[in-house]
Amino acid sequence: MRALPDQKLNPKIKNVWRINDAIWIALVFVCLIVPFAIAVGLDAEWAGIVCIVLVIAFVVLLVIFLVILPPIRYARWRYQLSDEYLDIAKGIIWRKRYIIPFIRVQNTDTRQGPILRAFKLASVTVSTAAGSHEIPGLDAESAEALRDRAAELARLAREDV
Amino acid sequence: MDAQNTQEQAAVQAGEPVKHQVHHSYIWLGTLRVVAILFFAAAISVFSSIIGAISEGMRAGSAEAGLVMLVTVGFSIGFLVVLAGIVFLVHWLAYKRLYYVLGPDEFNLYSGIITKKRVHVPYNKVQSVDQKASLLQRIAGVRTLYIDTAGGANNKAVIVPYVTKHDAEWLRSELFARKDAAVRGVVYQEGARPSAAADAARPQAPGTPVPPADEREGHNVLDVGQQAWDELGGVFAGAAYDGGRVSYEYGLSNKELVLAGLSNKTSFAVLLLGIIVALAQLISFVFDVVPGDDANAIASAAADIGGQILQSGMFALAVAIIGFIIVVWIVSVLGSCIGYGGFRARRRESRIEVEYGLLQHTFQGVDIERVQAVVISQSFIRRLFGYCELSLAKVDANSEGDEGKNAQTKRGVVIHPFVKLSKVPEILAGLVPEFGDVPTERHEVAPVALRRALTRRCIVQGVGFWFAVAVAIFQLTMGLWLDDGLVRIHAFGSLVSIDAYELCTSACVVCYILAALVTVVSAIGAVLWARSSSFAFNERFMQVTNGGFSIETVTFPRQKIQYGYTKTNPLQRRAHTATIKARTAAGVGGTTYALIDATQADAESWLAWLEPRV
Repeated sequence: MRALPDQKLNPKIKNVWRINDAIWIALVFVCLIVPFAIAVGLDAEWAGIVCIVLVIAFVVLLVIFLVILPPIRYARWRYQLSDEYLDIAKGIIWRKRYIIPFIRVQNTDTRQGPILRAFKLASVTVSTAAGSHEIPGLDAESAEALRDRAAELARLAREDV
Repeated sequence: MDAQNTQEQAAVQAGEPVKHQVHHSYIWLGTLRVVAILFFAAAISVFSSIIGAISEGMRAGSAEAGLVMLVTVGFSIGFLVVLAGIVFLVHWLAYKRLYYVLGPDEFNLYSGIITKKRVHVPYNKVQSVDQKASLLQRIAGVRTLYIDTAGGANNKAVIVPYVTKHDAEWLRSELFARKDAAVRGVVYQEGARPSAAADAARPQAPGTPVPPADEREGHNVLDVGQQAWDELGGVFAGAAYDGGRVSYEYGLSNKELVLAGLSNKTSFAVLLLGIIVALAQLISFVFDVVPGDDANAIASAAADIGGQILQSGMFALAVAIIGFIIVVWIVSVLGSCIGYGGFRARRRESRIEVEYGLLQHTFQGVDIERVQAVVISQSFIRRLFGYCELSLAKVDANSEGDEGKNAQTKRGVVIHPFVKLSKVPEILAGLVPEFGDVPTERHEVAPVALRRALTRRCIVQGVGFWFAVAVAIFQLTMGLWLDDGLVRIHAFGSLVSIDAYELCTSACVVCYILAALVTVVSAIGAVLWARSSSFAFNERFMQVTNGGFSIETVTFPRQKIQYGYTKTNPLQRRAHTATIKARTAAGVGGTTYALIDATQADAESWLAWLEPRV
């Protein structure tokens, strides 16, 4: 059995995921429930049942995405930065293991959304000619280091594709 | 031509970059094309009004109708002429502002009448250079050039339209030579024969001198037409341009040409349609002969009312349809034969060039460095004959206007449409000797893969299984709904009652048989897949073979793997297998070559192999 990569994400990422997912689920929930709430206001009995079902679904989803999933996701998300390649292991049910040689990397970006910024984190995206990979939730320092390392090795690549 | 040359020389002496104009057939051939489209559109729209006028005239008297028709036609012709004038003007203006410049580091294409557009292509980003010519363009001796660059899905090919054959070939070898220099970090020297430097620098393909045309391998009847084209060249083709030394070349033999034509997709689809129609006819004939029982109440009712005439009419119609299908099939076979006519594949220095098409001509050129993979694919039909299709995968770009419709470019470069399996090594050794050292140590899929493939293909993704489930649900609901099993309908003026329950049951039985057949076919496919699928890797290459009714073997260099990964689901983890996926930049936006259920040990050693070595 190939050993798992040794680096973990910054633990604060769990809260980032929680906030992010909560916002999305709440948005979808509001969009869905507003028409039915109006229908309840117009004396439609069946709409009340739909509303109750939606609220239950909302709560269940919140529990799954805020309580159950983040720790598992965090535990399964590993990466390792060797001199020549990036090794990523992730996925809960479908477990994936990526090997991305740095000499194939075309460009690397660091990105910081408002939520990530609030936690002083950054995500690094590593792009190859056939797709890109994101490492979410690194503290700003290691994100910079990773980007520089990838950029330096990418320059050594003899040819682009 | 001469005036242009002196101009160019003057510009070179002045130290400015030379502005190369495209050929003036851009104006009039381009205009002709647009006008032809306009004409057809106008003809279709006017046609209905003319018909209307004629039928009106039948009633109202011919003189008046004639006048109306004359005015209509005259007006539309006048309108067309004005439109053609505008189109001509636009093309003329666009022509004046359309030119390309070969700069020191990049190719520039300038265009645009009102909005000026400038496209830069750095030489080292050039992936492949293709040429295409429609029949009219061929007669004129001009080509349209497509320059593909690497850059994923939204990257479009750079199109240089209407360049003469000579210029096109010159530009192509110039681009490749400059690319070569850029990649190796050498300053490109203007005018120096690009091949001389390249020849010395890179390992050459085994140098077999090229035999004269009539001794070369692979010949067919349509090559004569190709030779005629080559000799005539087209009106403005210009002198032939020598692009470099050819080290290997072949065409199609008569047999290969005909078989390639026979096995094309449209002809196969048409043939299938014909078989279905014939089968349907046969079934209805059988039903006709069987004396009608209760279940065939409608049929017997129909037979009462002149059904005999209807039946014979249907028969004639079916014969006509089959006849039509046969004609379409023959035409499509001939069409694809002509499409493959004049097929030649050759190795010229570091480039692989393929050209084909007797009427519409396509020329594809790709540098060996840019070849992402060699694909040997055996469709079911080819497999029956022991033949296969050979193609090279390369990075493709979307070119404007031919998304989807041009499947040929999406499939990379077909270097042989129909070749005997035993001849493949010889062709590959000649055309792409760099791919000679293919891995031989095959890692078969895990033994448990057979069981998993059977459940996957027959049940989880099994069309037959889910179809049977749907039919069962349908049958159950019908059983609940039709309580007394009789449905009364008004047919042929009298009340007929049918035992709908029985009818429904028999229909469902037919569906179950169909589902079972599909499942059996899937099961056979799964067994074949498990027996013939494997992957292999050595120092420089990786090879993935996915079998089944058709087999596809893909060989690609380690260097071209952008990244690789393994993927497992819980069941795979329990069975100790993993899906391996290698991703290359081939095609538009990348291609994944995958093998499901390799053994875990193999997958792990493959991952270790993927790690770059210093």
